[in-house]
Amino acid sequence: MLEFNATLIAQMFNFVILLIFLRFVAYKPIAKLLKDRQDFIANNVATAEEERKQAQELREQYLADMQKAREEAQAIIAQAAKVGEIQAQEIIAAAKEESNRVKDNALKEIEREKEKAVRELRDQVTVLSVAVAGKIIGQTITPEIQHDMVQQFIREAGDLPC
Amino acid sequence: MDLHEVEESLNFWHFPHTGAWHLGTVGNFPIDLNPKTLIVTWLTMILVAAFAIVATRNMSMKRPNSAQTAFEMVYNFVGGIVKEQITDPIKAAAFLSIPVTFFIFILFSNILGLIPTLTSPTADLNTTVGLALTTFLLFEFMGIYYKRGKHFKHYLEPFVFFLPINIIEDLSKPITLSFRLYGNIYAGEVLLLVILGLMPPVLNFCGGFVIPVVWLAYSIFVGCIQAFVFTILSTVYVSQKISDTH
Repeated sequence: MLEFNATLIAQMFNFVILLIFLRFVAYKPIAKLLKDRQDFIANNVATAEEERKQAQELREQYLADMQKAREEAQAIIAQAAKVGEIQAQEIIAAAKEESNRVKDNALKEIEREKEKAVRELRDQVTVLSVAVAGKIIGQTITPEIQHDMVQQFIREAGDLPC
Repeated sequence: MDLHEVEESLNFWHFPHTGAWHLGTVGNFPIDLNPKTLIVTWLTMILVAAFAIVATRNMSMKRPNSAQTAFEMVYNFVGGIVKEQITDPIKAAAFLSIPVTFFIFILFSNILGLIPTLTSPTADLNTTVGLALTTFLLFEFMGIYYKRGKHFKHYLEPFVFFLPINIIEDLSKPITLSFRLYGNIYAGEVLLLVILGLMPPVLNFCGGFVIPVVWLAYSIFVGCIQAFVFTILSTVYVSQKISDTH
């Protein structure tokens, strides 16, 4: 097969036919498809990058919000603690006042009871002293003298601070 | 066995491989065609076209099927070579379909010849010279198209008396391209016949078929390499002609 003949021209012709056929049947759609795919991937990459950026921003915002919320919670807790302390102080003060009042009342009552007892005691002493004097002195004193003495005694006794 | 006897015994399809088709004469020049070469060339063209149609039918951008993936791989592979050589993307895109066709056509041709009873279109010097001449016309044409008058000026560089050397350089390109491809593929087929002819038939009953099978496997490798070499050299020649520095 070393001799040349018209097969050479025929093979060039065949090749050109194949080239034209493939150019329109295969290469055009393949090139378009590859271009589409490249665009698609580039688009996807760009979108992913954009979304990543947005996610980063969102994350930072959430972190900031959370920090703010935490600070607010701290402030609320501190406020509540302060209010509680004040209330406790008030309650203690009220309790002290109440106890003082109760104590004063009790003292007053005691005073009153004491006076009452003194009065009763004084009456008893009068009767007893008259009886004792009567027993000691007996019949030597007339009723008139006796009456005067008793009156005097009572007066003196009334002046006594009991 | 004689080589021609082996070849004749393998001629399952009764190719008229000794004669030629005479299609008359133009002037004094006879129009003769090698029937076997043309038949396998048409077969190759049909296979390439079928592959292209199968690969590009129902194309999907996100879920390509296997044929589409294979075609895309070839297209991207040759596209990568072309883009390495031709940096201008517009020129590369305009040129790309030719090396891709070279690659697919030569690859299918080389592999087709390994099927028993068939022969490679590229085992005929007419085919390889035809393809190499296509390359030659292509780089001359593209040089003129992109560089206009500067294309012819470079034959006179660096000095005027370099003209014959430059012309020989350009002429040697299609010759080396065609003879390299023809020699590799034709030698592969001849050696296959030689191996088959050398082996006594009794050897086939005790594993003798391993030897030609190994050679067939190696020929697949050679076929791929030669298709690649032809494609990349054509691309390099064209890129030399259309680059601004030349």
